[in-house]
Amino acid sequence: MVGRPLDESDLIQRAKRGETHAYEELVHAYQGIAFRTAYLIARNAADAEEAAQDGFVNAWRALGRFREGAPFRPWLLRIVANEARNRRRSGGRRAQLALRAATEESSGGAAPSPEATLLSAEQREELIAAVNELPEEQRAVISLRYFVGLSEHEVAEALGVPQGTVKSRTARALERLRESYD
Amino acid sequence: MTELERALVALGQELDFPPEPDLVAAVRARLGERRGLAFLPPRRALAFAVALIVVAFGIAMAVPQARSAILRFFHIGAVTVERVETLPRAQQQPLATGLGPPLSRRAAESRAQLGIRLPALEGPPPKRYYAQPGLIATLLHYRDEPVLLAEMREDQVMLFKKFAGPGTDVQPVQIGLYGLWLEGERHVLMWSFGPGELHRIQTRLAGNVLIWLAGNTTYRLEGDLTKEQMLELARDITR
Repeated sequence: MVGRPLDESDLIQRAKRGETHAYEELVHAYQGIAFRTAYLIARNAADAEEAAQDGFVNAWRALGRFREGAPFRPWLLRIVANEARNRRRSGGRRAQLALRAATEESSGGAAPSPEATLLSAEQREELIAAVNELPEEQRAVISLRYFVGLSEHEVAEALGVPQGTVKSRTARALERLRESYD
Repeated sequence: MTELERALVALGQELDFPPEPDLVAAVRARLGERRGLAFLPPRRALAFAVALIVVAFGIAMAVPQARSAILRFFHIGAVTVERVETLPRAQQQPLATGLGPPLSRRAAESRAQLGIRLPALEGPPPKRYYAQPGLIATLLHYRDEPVLLAEMREDQVMLFKKFAGPGTDVQPVQIGLYGLWLEGERHVLMWSFGPGELHRIQTRLAGNVLIWLAGNTTYRLEGDLTKEQMLELARDITR
């Protein structure tokens, strides 16, 4: 689903042989999605940064067990997400998901900015509030699937649950959200 | 994908995520080996955000027709589509105009820091590629028509904006996480690369276009194909 980082399989092979430069390229390619995944689970920026960093270091140490030809991203995100879950369990302040300040005005337009007529500003606020009110396990699935763009398989890997569980949690969450959206 | 799911994807584009830290140096230090080799500079999220606002403001000022009559705009990944009553002035130019000099695939992927996804077409792969930081493009030949394929990383790209007049049909399509199809009268494409190159705002008229989001990459196809043909090609790219 995602534009491949440069010669990924080659980078992984070189990293397995101990070439740190190759691994740094993988870190560079995946740090954005790793951080966002960690943030949506830990809901704290400092914890997410630590989790992503530790995840990359742990993945480096575990590269020898990485199966050749397997997709790297879900494997990496599972490690990062595990770090994020560990930090979430440790407590601390957890942020609610929020929308950026409106950017319509900066583009010079006086018109509203619904997304392809899908959402009014009010609907967006209601929808994000509804996502925040979901039970934690459903909120995590919705966030990773739609806000980060992970596949069902990747969400299952990241959360350490079967893919069928991701499907059922997604269905239940969408049912709840539909009440806010309709 | 249902309307609610598309709404959630759209909502994800507007979430207030904290600035993403550059982890390369920190991870490198923990791998037990330091290198003297220069690596990519860390992404300065705040500086980039400011630069983006500056670009958007500059474009609005440069295009009074558009500024005065913006009807609606849509975001999809790295691309913004604005509906306007009057199109800004632009000329028809070759598809790859303004994307930089042609490069080999390896050189282009290195400059873009992005590996290009190509469809499995018959014949040899393209020889010429175009790249800017966060964007890679090439010309394909599909059903005897030239088609420009561009792939962009939304977390790295610059400004990529399209102005569509009343004669351009903009409709959502089901591909990837979310897709838009633009056809009818030609629309105006406007883009600028990177905060260090703000002055290089380019415009040209564009034909039928399919834009879609898959993962954190935005894909764009442009050429004289029908919607069905374009979707067929697109599905071969992000299959």
